Amino acid sequence: MPDSVRWKEDFPVPSAEDSYATRREFTKFLGLTSVAFLAGTCAAVARKLWEQVTAKATTAVAVASLDEIPAGGSKLFRYPTENDACILLRLAPEKFVAFNQNCTHLNCPVHFEAESSQLVCPCHHGFFSAEDGKAVAGPPRRGLNALTVSLRDGQVWVQHDS
Amino acid sequence: MTAKTRLRLRMQVVLHMVMAFVVALLMAQLWLFTVTLEAMESREASVSIVMAALAFSALACAAVWALIRFFLRAEAQQM
Repeated sequence: MPDSVRWKEDFPVPSAEDSYATRREFTKFLGLTSVAFLAGTCAAVARKLWEQVTAKATTAVAVASLDEIPAGGSKLFRYPTENDACILLRLAPEKFVAFNQNCTHLNCPVHFEAESSQLVCPCHHGFFSAEDGKAVAGPPRRGLNALTVSLRDGQVWVQHDS
Repeated sequence: MTAKTRLRLRMQVVLHMVMAFVVALLMAQLWLFTVTLEAMESREASVSIVMAALAFSALACAAVWALIRFFLRAEAQQM
C-alpha cells in the first residue's frame, strides 16, 4: 500500500462530518456582523437621544437645607429618579457641588474624602476632583456627571444641565 | 496549471482583497460603536458626535455589503 494512502488509515479524517462554509456563507456572515455593529450603534444613539429628552423634562429639586451639611460634608440623594444616586458636597460655606455618584469606570458608588478634597471609588481606586468631578487618577478616564447647583430660599437645589 | 485552477487562484486573490477591506471596515465600525457607547454614558458628549458615528457606521455597513456583492457577482461571472 502506498504511503499516501496509508496515512489516511492511521489518521482518518471524517470529512463527511466536517461542516464546510462556502464563500457565500462566509461573506454573508461578515455582512451580518456589520449589520449587528450598526444595530448596536443605533441602539446607543437611541438611548442617548432618549436621555437628552428626559433630562430636559427634569425640573430643579431641593435636596438639602443650607444648614444641613457642614463645610467639608456631603449628602447622598436620588435624582432625577430613585435609581440615580447622586452626592452633594459642601466644599466651602457658600460652595456646593453635586455629581452623579456612579464611578465612570464600572459604576461603583464614589464617596467623598474631605482631607484630599477628592471623590474616591473604592472598587478600583479611581479618584475624582471634588471641584469639578474630573478624573485625576486611577482607571476612570471620564469625569463624573455634574449637576447644576443653586441656592435659594435657604435650600440647595439641583438640576441637570438643559 | 489548468484554466480552472488559474481561475480559482485569481478568485482567491480577489477574495483576500475583499476580506482585507471588509475586516478594515468592521474594525472601523467596532471603533465607532465604542465611541457611541462612551458618548452615551457621558452627559457632556454632544449628540452630533453620536449622529456622526451612526452615519459613518451606516456608510461602512453599506460598503461591506457592496464589496460582498461585488465579489459574489465577479465570482458568478467567472464561473
